[in-house]
Amino acid sequence: MTVIDESGLHARPAARFVQAASRFASHIIIRNGEREANAKSLISLLGLAVRLSSVITVAAEGSDADAALASLSAELSPYVTLLEPAS
Amino acid sequence: MSLVLVSHSKTLAEGLRDMVVQVAGEGVRVTAAGGTADGRLGTNAEAIGDAIRAILAEGSDDVLVLLDLGSAWLSVELALEELSDTERARVCVSEAPLVEGAVLAAVQASIGASLADVDAAAAGAASMSKAPGGSLNA
Repeated sequence: MTVIDESGLHARPAARFVQAASRFASHIIIRNGEREANAKSLISLLGLAVRLSSVITVAAEGSDADAALASLSAELSPYVTLLEPAS
Repeated sequence: MSLVLVSHSKTLAEGLRDMVVQVAGEGVRVTAAGGTADGRLGTNAEAIGDAIRAILAEGSDDVLVLLDLGSAWLSVELALEELSDTERARVCVSEAPLVEGAVLAAVQASIGASLADVDAAAAGAASMSKAPGGSLNA
C-alpha cells in the first residue's frame, strides 16, 4: 500500500507500529524513497526520516502478510492518507 | 525484560520512566533509580541494587541498566558486585545514552526481545539523528 504521512512518525506512534508489526510472523518492510526499514525495529523505523508529506510504502512477506497489512494500515490511519493498496 | 534507569537526578530518572512507559506502554517494567538516598543529586548503589534484585527475584525477566555519566557507573558497579553469578548473568549494563537508549530498549523489550537484542537496540541510540534525516544543522 502507498500512504502519505501527515504528521511525521514520532516516537509514540512509531512504537505502537513496531508493536503491531511484531504480532505477525511476516517480514514487514517500510520504504520511504530509497530508505528501507524493518517494521519490527524502532531505530530502523526512526531512521526512515518519515515526515509531513512523505510517501511511504508498507510491504509484508509471509504466511500472515495480508492480515499484517490490514492491521498496519489501521494502525497508521490516524497519521496518513491512504493512496492506493498494492495488489 | 525490564529496565532500571540510573541518573544523578531522581526527577530525571522518574520523568524518563514516565516518558518511556508512555512510548512503550505499560507492558515493560521500568524502575527509576536516581538520586541519593536522601533525594539529592548523586547516585546510590543500594537503591540500584534493590531495583535490580527486585526484578530478578520476581520472575524470569532479565535486566538492562541504563545510566547517565560520570560516577553513575561506580554505583552501578557496586550494585552488581552484590549479585550472585547467576543473578549477574541476567543483567546487562548499557553503554547507550540514557534517554534515547531507554526508549529504544523499552520498545524492543515490549515486543519480547531478548536481553542481547534489547541492549543492541539501545546501543543504536548513539547514532540516531534528532531530526528526520539529520537536517537540523544543514
